[in-house]
Amino acid sequence: MADIACFTRNRCTTVETVDEQTTRSTCRVQDTSMEAWVEILVKSPNLEIAEVSGEVRRSSEGARIDVSADLKKVIGARVGPGIRKIIRGLIGDHAFVETLSILLDECCNGVIMSFTRDVLFSAPKDPEGEKDFFSSMVRANPRLLNSCAALSEDSPLMEALKPGKA
Amino acid sequence: MLKFTRNKLASVYRKSDDCLSVHGVLEDDIYGMVVDLDLGLPDLEIRAVKGCWSRMENAECYRALPFLQEAVGLRVGEDFTHKLQKGVGRKACRHFADLIIECCDAARDAARLILEKESGTVRPEIGIDDYFGKGEGPAGTGSAEALSVQENKGGAVRVASRGMVIDLHVHSAPASPCSTNPVERLIEEARSVGLDGICLTDHNHRWDPHEIATLRRKHGYLILRGNEITTDQGDVLVIGLEEDIKGVIKLSDLRGKVLKAQGFMIAAHPFRGFLTFGIGYLGLTPKKAGKRPIFQGVDAVEVMNSRVSEKENRFAAQVAEMLGLPVIGGSDAHQPGEVGRFATRFADPIGDERDLIEALKKGRFSPIVFSGP
Repeated sequence: MADIACFTRNRCTTVETVDEQTTRSTCRVQDTSMEAWVEILVKSPNLEIAEVSGEVRRSSEGARIDVSADLKKVIGARVGPGIRKIIRGLIGDHAFVETLSILLDECCNGVIMSFTRDVLFSAPKDPEGEKDFFSSMVRANPRLLNSCAALSEDSPLMEALKPGKA
Repeated sequence: MLKFTRNKLASVYRKSDDCLSVHGVLEDDIYGMVVDLDLGLPDLEIRAVKGCWSRMENAECYRALPFLQEAVGLRVGEDFTHKLQKGVGRKACRHFADLIIECCDAARDAARLILEKESGTVRPEIGIDDYFGKGEGPAGTGSAEALSVQENKGGAVRVASRGMVIDLHVHSAPASPCSTNPVERLIEEARSVGLDGICLTDHNHRWDPHEIATLRRKHGYLILRGNEITTDQGDVLVIGLEEDIKGVIKLSDLRGKVLKAQGFMIAAHPFRGFLTFGIGYLGLTPKKAGKRPIFQGVDAVEVMNSRVSEKENRFAAQVAEMLGLPVIGGSDAHQPGEVGRFATRFADPIGDERDLIEALKKGRFSPIVFSGP
């Protein structure tokens, strides 16, 4: 018997530069039950959300639902640590709170990842250079230490941080 | 041109009557990874997980794979995301955790469809928890009858001639879900490193004054009640507010409540940056940053916080100086061994929250790197 999928989901996030001060981030989800998208415009350097729009195109609730008015509550919030909690708190009680929160969160994460990508472009490929690069990164951002397996205290990348190796 | 793209795919099939299999793929500019999960039906407990990398950020990312097993045994439901992020996210990789959450979310929706199909009814208003029972709830946070700040005396208070050194920003477990340090241990650590007191600032958690009074008597140590409240403009340390604020509140609303209660508000780690790039990357200047709404709604700024980078602390200090706002220090301790890394030295003796608010309003304090008495 074929293993036919009973449910599939695609979620796609894209980030683009609109102008020097503005970044657009869009997240779309399509799955067996529903389809929706959210788009935010983020202003540098504070990374505050300047515009937001979105739509639930298909769901168990039926036809298209414009959710832009509910999404507007997040305008002014800043993309950064803690944004997930802030988004959920601001959207509040809404039939699609989970869907919209996740889409918004993906948009914000995409913005952060786009900057992270730029930084990682400069990471050396040779083992010693890589160790220097990531240990310097952790030295500058202590919260990174033990934030994942690669940056754990016992990782070879963190050797330079051990006492006596500074 | 696109600056970044992330695609996530999750497909679910019913492996047997009591098991769903989920195949998940994450592909973005930085990472490429795959996971396969088995979840029980109807409990949605993760029975097996397997993952592999196709592209990694660095040569050591492969170390994440054994820790994916932290997900086994977790059940999709309340607090699932938090537990997965804490286990898989920190021990393995937060992007793997993200993909597993996506897969489990898809499995939950798949289970709902299966149930609806089998029962022959479509009831979108009913959540999966109603079908399968709720998952484990958060730790109990029962509160008893309130005491006012003024009544909250009890326990010996040590006043050092050097002034009083208090860590104004500490978290305890289970009041703060992100902390692993039980309050009793935290108090003993604070005492052993030589702090004169601590202010418990658990996330959106109002400590019961009776409970604190008992702790103070038991330990003969200064324990103050505060709160770290999430606002739409960032986290704020609040002293002197009895209201139990849950969720996210508008900064302006919080300001109104705290002013009415004659309390005190401190912007917590206002420039906590991103993990791999700092505040400087964005070209943010103190002048521009000083216009952020958060600084219009607080009484002071935390400029020494042990969980942010030196640059971020320095930047916060520059902005506070430019705005003429008082500054404090706090460890933001979440784990054992972190309390007291930074603290605030007060010129006046402090015996309770009323004294603390008074001292904060007088401005007779300064942030310090604490290295013991």
